[in-house]
Amino acid sequence: MHKQLTPVLLFCIALIVAVIFFFPLFFMVSSSFKAENEIFAAPPHWLPHEFQGLRQYQTGFQAIPLVRFFFNSTLMASIDVAVTVFFSAMAGYGFAKFNFRGRRWMFYFVLATIAVPFQILIVPLFVQMRRFGWDDTYAGLIVPGIMNAFGVLMMRQFAYGIPDELLDAARIDGAGEPRIFWQVVFPLLSSASASLAIIIFLFSWNNFLWPLIVIRNELYQTLPVGLTVFTQPHTTQPQWAVAMAVSTLATLPVAVLFLFFQRYFVEGLVLSGLKG
Amino acid sequence: MANPSTKGSKSGFVARRQWWGLFFVLPTVVFFLVFFLYPMITGIYYSFTDFTLLKPPTWVGLQNYQDLVKDRLFLTSIGVTLGFVLGSTLPVWIVSLLAALLFYQKFPARELLKLLFFSPVLPSLIVVAIVWRILLHPNGILTSVIRLVLHVPEINWLDSPTLSPLSMILINAWTIIPFYMLIWLAGLTGIPQELRDAARVDGATFSQSFLRVELPLLGPTAVFIAAISTINAFQAFTLQYAISPNRGGPIDVNTTMGLLIWKYGFQYYRMGDAATVSVILFAIIMIVTIIQLALSRGDQYSLN
Repeated sequence: MHKQLTPVLLFCIALIVAVIFFFPLFFMVSSSFKAENEIFAAPPHWLPHEFQGLRQYQTGFQAIPLVRFFFNSTLMASIDVAVTVFFSAMAGYGFAKFNFRGRRWMFYFVLATIAVPFQILIVPLFVQMRRFGWDDTYAGLIVPGIMNAFGVLMMRQFAYGIPDELLDAARIDGAGEPRIFWQVVFPLLSSASASLAIIIFLFSWNNFLWPLIVIRNELYQTLPVGLTVFTQPHTTQPQWAVAMAVSTLATLPVAVLFLFFQRYFVEGLVLSGLKG
Repeated sequence: MANPSTKGSKSGFVARRQWWGLFFVLPTVVFFLVFFLYPMITGIYYSFTDFTLLKPPTWVGLQNYQDLVKDRLFLTSIGVTLGFVLGSTLPVWIVSLLAALLFYQKFPARELLKLLFFSPVLPSLIVVAIVWRILLHPNGILTSVIRLVLHVPEINWLDSPTLSPLSMILINAWTIIPFYMLIWLAGLTGIPQELRDAARVDGATFSQSFLRVELPLLGPTAVFIAAISTINAFQAFTLQYAISPNRGGPIDVNTTMGLLIWKYGFQYYRMGDAATVSVILFAIIMIVTIIQLALSRGDQYSLN
């Protein structure tokens, strides 16, 4: 009897814990279908009583340039992902499989960039962007965050696992080094690339500090910064239901990615030890 | 070392090949020289200058540091940051471990419940801020429930100088606990089942097996989570920026050092002061991390 009771008890505890942690997001989605006056209704409305359909979503698109924000976030995230994955794989392979002069120092240097929080760099980096004439441009938004040392570390770890015999066989067949990287090494790193890609997407999509600082012009703003209008309701007429609709939209791409690629998602998060 | 040997007479070809490695790592190294090392050095330089965006930096030596020591807001921000760090490290460390132990057991619908538990990791901190603003509103759903349970007339989480730093810690815990749980879980899964079985066969109870077998083997994970949760907490910015009234209020109880860098640099354009706060924050994070690593090394030693 004792043996049967334990799983049920564990299930009950886990259910309570899961409900507590899931509730805010449930509330967000549920409220995005509510009428404005339902948000603070007493007693609380757990589900919409006056179901609004997509009305609050439509209002969201009218209230802020949401399409533009989505475009900018997508642009930044895709470039970040593509560049980070490709160059991390290259550098990881270089550090793992070659023995050139200065290799150790260059590796320590890349490693050191992890130890320094990005926050420390925002002041000089912003000044640098102004010097480059990059403030308020896509270049300023995207380029400084385009590489990630953690990606290099991760790829290096995976590249160690590639057998030297395989590389030598390709060399004997007369393949040049760039071709070996592109046709032999890079495909072998595809599982690691998937994890890295998803994690970089999450960071990039949710990144807030740098876009906040470098972009003033609404045309180049990304979603998280664009949503800040809803965080200071003293300045505008609060539209909480609309805020919930827009928040739901902003979270949707990450949620979909998570549901479809759970394994890579979790692996990437664990390996990175970071949450944006 | 995974590299082929470079000695011997036919090694010229092999040695020349090694330079391709430089070709592969060069883009990354150059990138970090331009967008990491250069700003790092100029940032330290700016901390010794009088520098606003309107006039170029002029050298003032230690003036900024001397001014900051007398700066009330700066001293407040150190206390605020330390408070947030205390509330966001050990409690989060413990709760996430307990959650991992829970989800490590076998019970019905475990994967689904884990999925729901994990959901706070997904939204951006700005979305988190907006949602929690509503939940913790004096008439918000969560406040209503808590008021009902505690029989108090009104709770003003975000505008109260005592409750609002606590709210920041709670909201942060909500977003970060599932994430650390995942890392604990990865650590737990890495422990071979045979070790646990052996302990059970030897008559160990669950708690004995946990204390004697699992916990020591989780050592590296424990240190890792302690270190990253500390580093993350020291950088607190987004929640305080987005939720607290007037960006860091009420009466500056939520002005973390991270927020102060933003305030000095991008609200008042006092780049020199902002750079100085950055350097000091970096020094604090470095010192704390080194202490943590030193302590943990001692810990592992004593376990043997």
